[in-house]
Amino acid sequence: MSELHLSRRQLLRMSGISIAGSLALAACSKQADIEQSSNIASAGTVPPTSALPPAEVNDVVLLRTAASIEYNAIDTYELALSAGLLTGDYAQLADAVKRFRDDHQRHAEAVNKLTVSLGGKPFTCANDRINSTYIEPAIALITADGNPDAALDTVALAHALENLAAQTYQGVVGLLSSPALRADAMRIGQDESRHAVVLAQVLNPGYASVGPTVNATTGRPNIATVPSAFGALGSVSLTIGAPSPEGVKTNLILETPSLNSLVYEYVSC
Amino acid sequence: MTRETQRRPQGASLSRPTPGDIALLVFAQSAELAVHDLYTAALNRGGYGDDEAAMVAMFGEHHLAYAQSIGGLLGAKAPNTRNEDLYRQFVGSLTGGAASNRMLQTLENTLATTHTDLLSQLEGTEGANLIASIITGEARHGATFGTLPTLSLSSALDNSTLSLAPKSPAATKTSTTETTVSQ
Repeated sequence: MSELHLSRRQLLRMSGISIAGSLALAACSKQADIEQSSNIASAGTVPPTSALPPAEVNDVVLLRTAASIEYNAIDTYELALSAGLLTGDYAQLADAVKRFRDDHQRHAEAVNKLTVSLGGKPFTCANDRINSTYIEPAIALITADGNPDAALDTVALAHALENLAAQTYQGVVGLLSSPALRADAMRIGQDESRHAVVLAQVLNPGYASVGPTVNATTGRPNIATVPSAFGALGSVSLTIGAPSPEGVKTNLILETPSLNSLVYEYVSC
Repeated sequence: MTRETQRRPQGASLSRPTPGDIALLVFAQSAELAVHDLYTAALNRGGYGDDEAAMVAMFGEHHLAYAQSIGGLLGAKAPNTRNEDLYRQFVGSLTGGAASNRMLQTLENTLATTHTDLLSQLEGTEGANLIASIITGEARHGATFGTLPTLSLSSALDNSTLSLAPKSPAATKTSTTETTVSQ
């Protein structure tokens, strides 16, 4: 393999020739009426870009995003019921699941009413990005062949979504512009926390599981009914799916909606 | 997506507590200290197994943490004394075990409602964020009492308690938005 040795001076001279050449070629193409392609960037021209509509994070956007999370939960509970994901002992959770679904429907309607009162358009479907990033991969893991814990994992997914919803409402408190809206958000947020408590006790029951504990085998935190004194705003961990040969399940990390998953005013269902 | 307007909503408001907020937070701190002492009274009354007692002690400590955090926000204006009316109203009902827990659940639900009411009056976002995180904790406490020793969905999920919160002078003067989401 031969090596090419160039001095700094030679390199500078060569780059100057390259720039001058490309400028000359670009000028020739314009003179020759050659159609400009937006796919090939050439020196001296900028390909056209399609700008996103103006996007401002305001009360309406935050409320529409909250509504979208409600529909994520509604759809997940509907799926759990219609696809028969709650089997065995977990089948007795059907009444709780229906109550949770109905609560989320009521929340979505209340949030959309607030949106309309602020002059915004209601949002009546699930958050696409939350679906594609978290829920669809989770459902695929839960329903995959060879998962012995599909029903348990369904409850774990519901628990994670309730925590995500609770954190979403708590997280927007400092962003909403009026005290009345903040209180409205937390009226709903505390309902989601209560749902999470019920599901946590299904996943890890008893008084000893109320506070934070650690799994002695894996070293990971167990599901806790009251994981901390204050409402947390961190990520939500979800461990589900068929265990690997080493006995390890897949861990998903869920995050509350951010700039790329907010339901801006130009977004429609 | 880096413009300031995309990160900060319209009407982004005050951060530090206003004079009106301080009166509300003083009330919140004294209520938290009363509830901490009520948990201590419940533990002293007994009737709990070991794990249950550990849970009750933990919830009591949470309330002390809430009071300390509110005190941190108030600084020198923090009263650091319990709300005697609230303490006296409940202490006689803590007769031990399950009966105490029923009363503690009512207290937790009452505080969650009270703090939500406070939140509807607080103007500064520092106080609002803190109170919101406390509401989450207290809602969890209240719901936990509805799931143990046996699950009662309605006991865990429903909260029909009334607020004890005072009205901020600022809120009574300038309140224009009626809360529209029902509990």
